[in-house]
Amino acid sequence: MNLIRGFATTIKHVFEEPVTIQFPEEERPVRERFKGRHALKRYDNGLEKCIGCSLCAAACPADAIWVEAAENSDEARYSPGERYARTYEINMIRCIFCGYCEDACPTEAIVLEHEYRLSFNDRVDAVYTKDMLIDPVPPGGQDTPQVTEPGKFTRSIPEMKDPD
Amino acid sequence: MQSKIDKFTIPIGPQHPALKEPGHFEFSVDGEIVTDASVRLGYVHRGIEKGTEGRNWVQSLYLLERICGICSHVHATAYCLGVEKLAGVEVPPRAQAIRVLVAELERVHSHMLWLGVAAHEAGFDTLFMYSWRDRETVMNLLEGITGNRVNYSANVLGGVKCDISAEQDEAIRQGVDFLEERTRHYLEVVTSDMMFLRRTRGVATTPKAQARELGLIGPTGRASGISHDVRVDAPYAAYDIYPVKLITATAGDLEARFIVRINELFESYRVIRQILDTLPEGELTVRMPRRIKEGETVSRVEAPRGELFYFIKSNGTDTPERIKVRTPTLPNMASVLVLAIGHQLADIPMILTGIDPCFSCNDRMVVVKDSGGDNRAMTWEALRQYGIEYYR
Repeated sequence: MNLIRGFATTIKHVFEEPVTIQFPEEERPVRERFKGRHALKRYDNGLEKCIGCSLCAAACPADAIWVEAAENSDEARYSPGERYARTYEINMIRCIFCGYCEDACPTEAIVLEHEYRLSFNDRVDAVYTKDMLIDPVPPGGQDTPQVTEPGKFTRSIPEMKDPD
Repeated sequence: MQSKIDKFTIPIGPQHPALKEPGHFEFSVDGEIVTDASVRLGYVHRGIEKGTEGRNWVQSLYLLERICGICSHVHATAYCLGVEKLAGVEVPPRAQAIRVLVAELERVHSHMLWLGVAAHEAGFDTLFMYSWRDRETVMNLLEGITGNRVNYSANVLGGVKCDISAEQDEAIRQGVDFLEERTRHYLEVVTSDMMFLRRTRGVATTPKAQARELGLIGPTGRASGISHDVRVDAPYAAYDIYPVKLITATAGDLEARFIVRINELFESYRVIRQILDTLPEGELTVRMPRRIKEGETVSRVEAPRGELFYFIKSNGTDTPERIKVRTPTLPNMASVLVLAIGHQLADIPMILTGIDPCFSCNDRMVVVKDSGGDNRAMTWEALRQYGIEYYR
């Protein structure tokens, strides 16, 4: 009797859709809150949100972030306020994808996005530089460094709405 | 002396196809029958306890959550409850309920995982595949609530990060209904399939007295009739509002362990539904101080494998002075060595899997056998430089 029921299960599943997916060709969507590779965000005008304050590096439990700041000027402006991140590196081997850098960021510049395919042939390749992390310039925006009029971007931290 | 030379020892591990994680076992055998067993652990020691001493309270939370990949939420819960007790902070009831909800979903996923692994070790790969397919349901639910399949980061000090929306509420109810139906099927399979019963019934039988002597905890101990469950004995978080029924069996063999774990799944489904029905409204977090008051505390929670124990000591600064973790695999591990004696070597994987071992969780220290006398002490800087040179 058990034998018949066993084969009945097998036959039933022959006609069912497979639950596996063929990974590189087919992809499973991740959820809204998924924490994957980081991205550095820009404002609509193309200025970088990151102001090089290193709070993310201080918060990181795994010491995966390295930030070096430099001074902005109105002739070569990267971000609003006084300073911007000249070097921004994340070691993806050290990173534990906890998202504490997101919580620490005062300008919401760093966000853990949905990219999860991170593999490297060499440990050096695992260090993501600023060029690899930063978002492309939004349409209508202008790439950094920008030439801006004096006195316009004096505030490092913008007025932000409360998070939902 | 003569008998010692005659005995044949089979070393298993640290790297072995039958082991999912590194550990070293030595079994002395007489023919097929095991006559003596020993274990050496510590191959996956990561120094997390020490690591917390150099990090602040919030950073330590993320680090401690990564002790275990399967039961990460209970580690975070145990730590949060302990730190909140030290700080004298009262967590809102909604946050406590969501903690319990995620903990029970995690228990479902952990027990389903164990069911698959144990079936695989018994050679019943069909059950392994089906149970893991159904486990995807609960993994998707957890991903929907918290964003990740493992290491959920649902807890923060003083509350939880994630809320349960109306759609998630509906999705969880549907998922739990589906899982309950499947679990009923699995309970029937593990108690009626003759081939499977020959691998489980009467194997590794632990009477209650022996189980107490060995100090078995968790579902392993409850299968031998030990009525001990932290959720029942000392309710934490919201378990006093959502009480759990204690599930025990008396047989004490592997079959009883299957029955206890599967019946615990039904209990988890019931608690999940009850929480969704009566989820209290309110805030998710309260404000936590940056520095925690001086003092020490003990925090216990029921992990899917048994009692998880945290000792937390604060010296009034923003970093912990000492955190000691004892995971449930450690007390259960001794039983494998005792119960293996008298069984066939082929039963060893089943006996080991029967306690639901998690090696990297329980590796709290490592003993280096320095036979050559090459005693090298390295400073942190020197070790770091060595690492950089090595990978250059």
